[in-house]
Amino acid sequence: MKIKKKDVESEIFTGSMADISFLLIIYFMVTSVFSATRGLDFQLPEDSSQTPEIKQEDSIDVHVMPNGVLQVDGKAMPIDQLLPYIKGVLKQNPDKPVILRTDPDATYGDMIAVFDLLRQAPTKIGMEIKTISIPTQREIQNVWALFGVH
Amino acid sequence: MAIIRGRGRKIGAGIFTASMADIVFLLIVFFVITYNVEVDHTQVLLPKTMVRSKIPEHAAFISIDKTGVVRVSTGKEMSLPVGSNEEVQSFAANVVAENPYKEFVIKADKGVKYEAFDQVLDALKQAKAKVIYLLSEQKTVDEAN
Repeated sequence: MKIKKKDVESEIFTGSMADISFLLIIYFMVTSVFSATRGLDFQLPEDSSQTPEIKQEDSIDVHVMPNGVLQVDGKAMPIDQLLPYIKGVLKQNPDKPVILRTDPDATYGDMIAVFDLLRQAPTKIGMEIKTISIPTQREIQNVWALFGVH
Repeated sequence: MAIIRGRGRKIGAGIFTASMADIVFLLIVFFVITYNVEVDHTQVLLPKTMVRSKIPEHAAFISIDKTGVVRVSTGKEMSLPVGSNEEVQSFAANVVAENPYKEFVIKADKGVKYEAFDQVLDALKQAKAKVIYLLSEQKTVDEAN
């Protein structure tokens, strides 16, 4: 008697693949965060000991006070007048650096608003500010100490 | 459900699902490519700026929340709170010693006192960091005007 073997089909069961895929999608959607991945960039000097000291009178001094009030070269100025003023100064001396000082009681957002505006100079006034320096309180105090001011 | 039309002809009313697996796989590929592991979950209100540059992957993170609490991460592991400015400087010095060109990202709340940011910036300057990114959100043209 001939015994007939039952044919066994060899195939991968894919019926649950869609379910697994949906679970994976849900996992990725729940765990992935649409985070901010961009920001204002700036480079620090390579070696501060070799960087020439910028004197206040040889630069444009922008002082951010609390509540976002601005003092530019010692005079109060509305923020919308900042770039036109800088344009006038840069026409005389295109290499003039800008020192961005911020009062410790001002907010970080106040400083960023001004820094962002300064970085927009090429598009808004057609002139690039070659150097924007953000000195820290320690650096400012060091400069004052050189002049004997405490 | 079967709908009977005309001379008793049956038309099956079903949703075609054969391409669903393909679509789902495409979505998975999209998520796998764009998936970013965020190393810092500090809740902050970021400032908005018009000028924004892409932050490199695996940059070191320093976050400052509204109360002034500072957290640091090398970009590989989750951020941890630090107690003092000296610890921030020591962290930054270690990162720079490992990779002198490593970028630092400062993620600070826009309402935090500038003094807190100033101390972190000073620590990075003393640690000889080279490039710093100040994390921000996109400011729209309407907001700028």
